[in-house]
Amino acid sequence: MAKKITGPQMIVANLLLDGRVVFMRADGSWSPVAGDAAMAEEDADVEALSALAQKSAAANEVLSVEVIEATTRDGKPFPAHMKFAMQAKGPSVRTDLGYQVSPTWEQ
Amino acid sequence: MYAYDKYDHAITNARVAEFRDQVERRVKGELTEEEFRPLRLMNGLYLQLHAYMLRVAIPYGTLSADQMRRLAHIARKYDKGYGHFTTRQNIQFNWPKLSETPDILQELADVEMHAIQTSGNCIRNVTTDQFAGATADEVADPRAYAELIRQWSTFHPEFSFLPRKFKIAITGAATDRAAVKWHDIGLIIKKNDAGEIGFEVLVGGGMGRTPVIGKTINEFVHERDLLSYLEAILRVYNEQGRRDNKYKARIKILAEDLGAEEYARQTNEEWARIKDHPLDVPEEEAARIKSFFRAPPLPVLSDDVPAVAELAKKNFLFGAWVKNNTNQHKVPGYVNLTISLKPHGGIPGDATADQMDLVASLADAYSQSEIRVSHEQNLILPHVAKKDLPAIWADLDEAGLGSANVGLLTDIIACPGLDYCALANARSIPLAQEISKRFDDIKRLQDIGPLKIKISGCINSCGHHHAGHIGILGVDRKGEENYQILLGGSGAEDASKAAILGPGFDEHGIVDAVEKVVAVYLGEREESEEFLATYRRLGPAVFKEAVYGAR
Repeated sequence: MAKKITGPQMIVANLLLDGRVVFMRADGSWSPVAGDAAMAEEDADVEALSALAQKSAAANEVLSVEVIEATTRDGKPFPAHMKFAMQAKGPSVRTDLGYQVSPTWEQ
Repeated sequence: MYAYDKYDHAITNARVAEFRDQVERRVKGELTEEEFRPLRLMNGLYLQLHAYMLRVAIPYGTLSADQMRRLAHIARKYDKGYGHFTTRQNIQFNWPKLSETPDILQELADVEMHAIQTSGNCIRNVTTDQFAGATADEVADPRAYAELIRQWSTFHPEFSFLPRKFKIAITGAATDRAAVKWHDIGLIIKKNDAGEIGFEVLVGGGMGRTPVIGKTINEFVHERDLLSYLEAILRVYNEQGRRDNKYKARIKILAEDLGAEEYARQTNEEWARIKDHPLDVPEEEAARIKSFFRAPPLPVLSDDVPAVAELAKKNFLFGAWVKNNTNQHKVPGYVNLTISLKPHGGIPGDATADQMDLVASLADAYSQSEIRVSHEQNLILPHVAKKDLPAIWADLDEAGLGSANVGLLTDIIACPGLDYCALANARSIPLAQEISKRFDDIKRLQDIGPLKIKISGCINSCGHHHAGHIGILGVDRKGEENYQILLGGSGAEDASKAAILGPGFDEHGIVDAVEKVVAVYLGEREESEEFLATYRRLGPAVFKEAVYGAR
């Protein structure tokens, strides 16, 4: 079982149709921009966000939902761990690629 | 090359139709991800960090020019204009959309390719020598046997849910370019005293977190008995391999637990029971498959081509390219030409759609429309007349494919690492890029000589770090990328496990460490002694002192 995360958290997933990386906003919608993500720290808040994400997965909108450690970068939410930071940024060796290059997409 | 018959076409087309239906049901919500995941994996479709990834088999590393053009087309139409050739002689597309994967698979099926069994706990794409059927140092062409194994293992009902994935490699040459001793089953083609063809069979090789070099369990299995003998090995494994712990589920663990002698005994016992049943292929069918792999009709030419020698004298880079990137063909006047996918500062194994198209055109013009993919992530034109080398080099160089570094320090194997892979702990590609930039001097590289660096971004070892003369393993150390250096591995006929030299480094420190290791070698080597030989003669201490200082 994964180690329980403490401190600020956010939710990341991949969209079902194309696998692109998305972060959960406070209203339960998804954004391709990590900075749009809702951050939660209290257990009840994290659970509420997590429940929204699971509902979205059950509705076949997303898969691979993960609650991850969050930090702030330039005053906005950002994944704390390098693996999820990589998801937020796209491949470091092809900075010309990735959905993150043109983060204008909206659901 | 092998050409599909009506059965091959029928099963690949049926599989595409089946997967199309499964994708439609997933998109409609009739299948949950839990239900769908094993179905997509059976068709080579993974979910990676940024998107889905489709892994396409290149059976025993052999491609026609038309197939390569189709890969280029797929890269352009369905992906982002490039593909990644892997250490398993596969190609991976990094950005396919779920809804388009059935179309991609149909495009592949139309040119006799598929992604079947490129994932899952089944027998995977059989790999072999990239120079198979075209090299001077070969007992027999391994591709016909690899094709036979492909047909036997495809949708094999008994071996579709093995304890863990299963990889078979074959070499027909004394020089092992297929790392057969590092595979679940390694096959080395041999002739017996009567001149008959058979296989030395090794079992239980593998990398991952428990690296093991395979052990011989039979010195000579006659070619007519190949499938029944493989079936016996697999049955022992399928029945006794561990299913309670995925890290102990590979055949190497069972083979180590039983010992090679006992594994051989149990295999022979099972084999005795099944060998006279009609599993083995009738001679006429074996001959039919072999007929697809007949050597192309190449007129014998002179090995002495003055125009090539003169250009090599005038143009140092061309001379280095001919020296490093060609291997002697079995027909005089020809070479196996390796196209390096390791441009200095580039991504090992990546090729753009335009580059794939160029290689296909060159194969049509100069190499009997044949292309090979090596486990070292390069492309090969197997049947090139020496006289054509200047023209080919000009075209390749213009397209950024003229690197003359094959077999040298910058011909680095690297897994996709944390840039793409959901399992990785650290990035691999940026290290390969930094090392190749640090050593961006072909004269220096030639002076250093043959040296294989292999980089993995996690313990699963897709980058073969255990078999690197210099191996690098990326780990997650308290949330930071950290890289261990290993020395003394080999994936060749003298296979050996690399050993960790000492504590790890950050991404800059590891490049310095490689440079220090190379400096020790250059200072200590005896005349014409290659890196691995020097390391084996000296042992790790002198390298350790250079890298870490006296402690």
